[in-house]
Amino acid sequence: MPIYRIQYSKEGPARYISHLDLLRSFERAGRRAGLPLAFTQGFNPHPKISFAAPLGVGTAGEAEYADIELIADLTAGEVFRALSGVLPEGLRLIEVRLIPDRSPSLMAAVDCATYRAVAKLDRPFNRKELDDAIASFMARPEIWVERKIKAGGKKKKNIRPGIFTMSGKSENDIIILEAELKTGSNGNVRFEEVLEAFRETVNLPLNGGFVLSRTGIFTGRGQEKKTLW
Amino acid sequence: MDLLDQILPLVQKPARYTGGEWNIIRKNWGEVELKVAFAFPDAYEVGMSHLGLQILYHIVNSRPDALMERVFAPWPDMEEKMRERNLPLYTLESYRPVRDFDVIAFTLQYEMCYSNVLNMLDLAGIPLRTSQRGEEHPLVIAGGPCAFNPEPLADFIDLFVIGEGEEAIGDFLDFFRDAKSRNLVRKDFFPEAARVPGVYVPSLYRVAYREDGGIVKVEPVQEGVPEIVNKRVVRDLDKVSFPTRPVVPSTEIVHDRIMIEVLRGCTRGCRFCQAGMIYRPVREKKPATVLRQAAELVRQTGYDEISLTSLSTSDYTPVRGVINALIKEHAGCGVGVSLPSLRVDNFSMELAKEVQKVRRSSITLAPEAGTQRLRDVINKGVTEEDLMAAAEVAFREGWQAIKLYFMIGLPTETDEDLDGIVRLAREVLAGGRKAGARRGRLRVTVSVSSFVPKAHTPFQWEPQASLEVLKEKQAYLAAGLRERGLVFNYHDPAVSFMEAVFARGDRRLGTVLEKAFQLGCKFDGWSEQFHFERWLEAFRQAGLDPGWYAYRRYDYGSVLPWDHIGSGVSKKYLVLEHQRAMAGKTTDDCRTGTCSGCGLCPGLDVEPDYAGGMRDAYLPDTIQ
Repeated sequence: MPIYRIQYSKEGPARYISHLDLLRSFERAGRRAGLPLAFTQGFNPHPKISFAAPLGVGTAGEAEYADIELIADLTAGEVFRALSGVLPEGLRLIEVRLIPDRSPSLMAAVDCATYRAVAKLDRPFNRKELDDAIASFMARPEIWVERKIKAGGKKKKNIRPGIFTMSGKSENDIIILEAELKTGSNGNVRFEEVLEAFRETVNLPLNGGFVLSRTGIFTGRGQEKKTLW
Repeated sequence: MDLLDQILPLVQKPARYTGGEWNIIRKNWGEVELKVAFAFPDAYEVGMSHLGLQILYHIVNSRPDALMERVFAPWPDMEEKMRERNLPLYTLESYRPVRDFDVIAFTLQYEMCYSNVLNMLDLAGIPLRTSQRGEEHPLVIAGGPCAFNPEPLADFIDLFVIGEGEEAIGDFLDFFRDAKSRNLVRKDFFPEAARVPGVYVPSLYRVAYREDGGIVKVEPVQEGVPEIVNKRVVRDLDKVSFPTRPVVPSTEIVHDRIMIEVLRGCTRGCRFCQAGMIYRPVREKKPATVLRQAAELVRQTGYDEISLTSLSTSDYTPVRGVINALIKEHAGCGVGVSLPSLRVDNFSMELAKEVQKVRRSSITLAPEAGTQRLRDVINKGVTEEDLMAAAEVAFREGWQAIKLYFMIGLPTETDEDLDGIVRLAREVLAGGRKAGARRGRLRVTVSVSSFVPKAHTPFQWEPQASLEVLKEKQAYLAAGLRERGLVFNYHDPAVSFMEAVFARGDRRLGTVLEKAFQLGCKFDGWSEQFHFERWLEAFRQAGLDPGWYAYRRYDYGSVLPWDHIGSGVSKKYLVLEHQRAMAGKTTDDCRTGTCSGCGLCPGLDVEPDYAGGMRDAYLPDTIQ
């Protein structure tokens, strides 16, 4: 059965749609679009829709990916036209492609993702100071964070190996931090935990919290990284 | 949205507060004359499951001169953040403060949401009491089933709309627009509003009390204000507007599916049931209307389930044909059909079987009482044979979990009736074993709620069983239901106690509500949020005794706080029904053609409206 890879953005109110609800949102959109969705077999059939990597609730996604399997052959253009008019506010279709048979699954392909955090400042923050803070943060051999685990306990984890790059700039009363982080089933670093660890090393005069976006999801990393098409 | 983006990452389930769902209607604020905020005094996922919201949202937004936006009670974590940052209560469509609207319309589905009504007004920055509000404030109105005894909220709500809203809201908005164009001030506005059929303006009525606290009379304070406000009733469900483009939430809600109302009202006449009295007469939708609306809804929502809703869907005359047609048309696209409530009879089980072909749902049966004697008292026309036969069919068809719903504390109840509950549950369990249900999977859940006397029912005069007695009854049942495969669920009787107080309360309870709100009462329908001691404190501060409201037997001759609200069912009939109950006599289903003389049809000039086409055979409650 044909599988269509869609690239979409998740912004505005849609940022607060949880991963599980996002699956439901796409399923309903698919049905509104009249798409012949493929379903899993069994007692509780689910549509065959999969995502590249879960996105934290509240974080915007500028170029997210999902694979949708159909039971009839449509052109990518037909799928795009059908789906683009039926998504809830903040979900926007960017592109649809039919992917070749036996392509690796989306999830397996993901290696890293890029993020951006924006916050307001109470007062301008020295740019040099920011660069130095980032440099010394990245120079640390280990950065330990605590993660909650399912049983209700906590687990320590060194996230430093999963922070591939980090940069920042501040202009007037705005600060922007960007990072490339390990993402996917082989290990995942959350941007929130990076920011939290970073803020422990430098006192940023923030006015409110960071507003987060995932700007891209990639296979490979650094110079080698490629989009998921 | 800026401030929201700072707050939302800090709260649970932020999608409750973002709006932006599929099918929302956002109108140009500057171009629309009448702005109405629909306020649901409970959490988003409860409010969005309410069909009435979708209906009124659709009707008001269909008017070019009006807009309606939605607002729900923010969960306490969100409320805390909003208060911290001075973010006033806002609507989900435009993020505008609720106080900027012309009208705030609350729906009152449950007495235990009254504290949320007050809390929402406060969060909106609107004075709580009608008397404290002026021309600069929105008009605060309310409707829904609890408006049939509006008195506990009389101090806070400017006017109530009694009965069905589809047509009444239009009449009210027409009047409101006219009043607005004439710049009517509140003092002149209210007497005119009181002339709109179905509108009750509590401040235009004076209540005189007896020394013992009872009511002498409730009377209008001026000419032209009706002595009795009769409910509004829609005549033809096929002609009345029904939303086929409802708002589809992006986060999971309680009833996350297409809801099509197939009939309104119920002919059974259970004597404890307020809905069965206030939604009379029964009116059925034509099959063609249901099928057309279903097809449109599937296309417009993308849901995978169609629920045929009503008070008693298996009573819908053409139900089987409609289910078959829906399955035939939609099952191919993975869209299933479900029935929210099933009666305890064979026919219902057959329907459940049909529905099960697409998606398996759990089975709930509601015998309500444990013995035939008590079931006759409450006029629940279900026999033990019905129940056992229905359970047998269910087990045979592969269901392994059955939920049985009972009430305790019903008038005339004795230990024998409680023993009956235990016996029925055990027999159903034994039936399940006999049918070969796997021991580990077989489960019979006994869910027990406490009887709450409700206004406009034959049991409105009855006292509620005391808290201590209800607790004893629960303990008695818990002891009897201890067995592998049996699960016993029950409600906090303290909540039922408060529910009874407000269900039969008068307007003096306004002070209690205000104090309870000040003491932090909110979301009282959620057990983890309910603080009984705060309520008791509120009563102490107000100098009122909750037991006086809940535990007193009202006599036939006394004036009831809701006597000036007309449900269409005559008080004479309610007395007769109460007497029949005490004599253990049942009353026929009005569908059988034997009119029991409730007085509604001649009084409101309406008639029952059946969809036509006889059901395969009309099945009484006995199995044939």
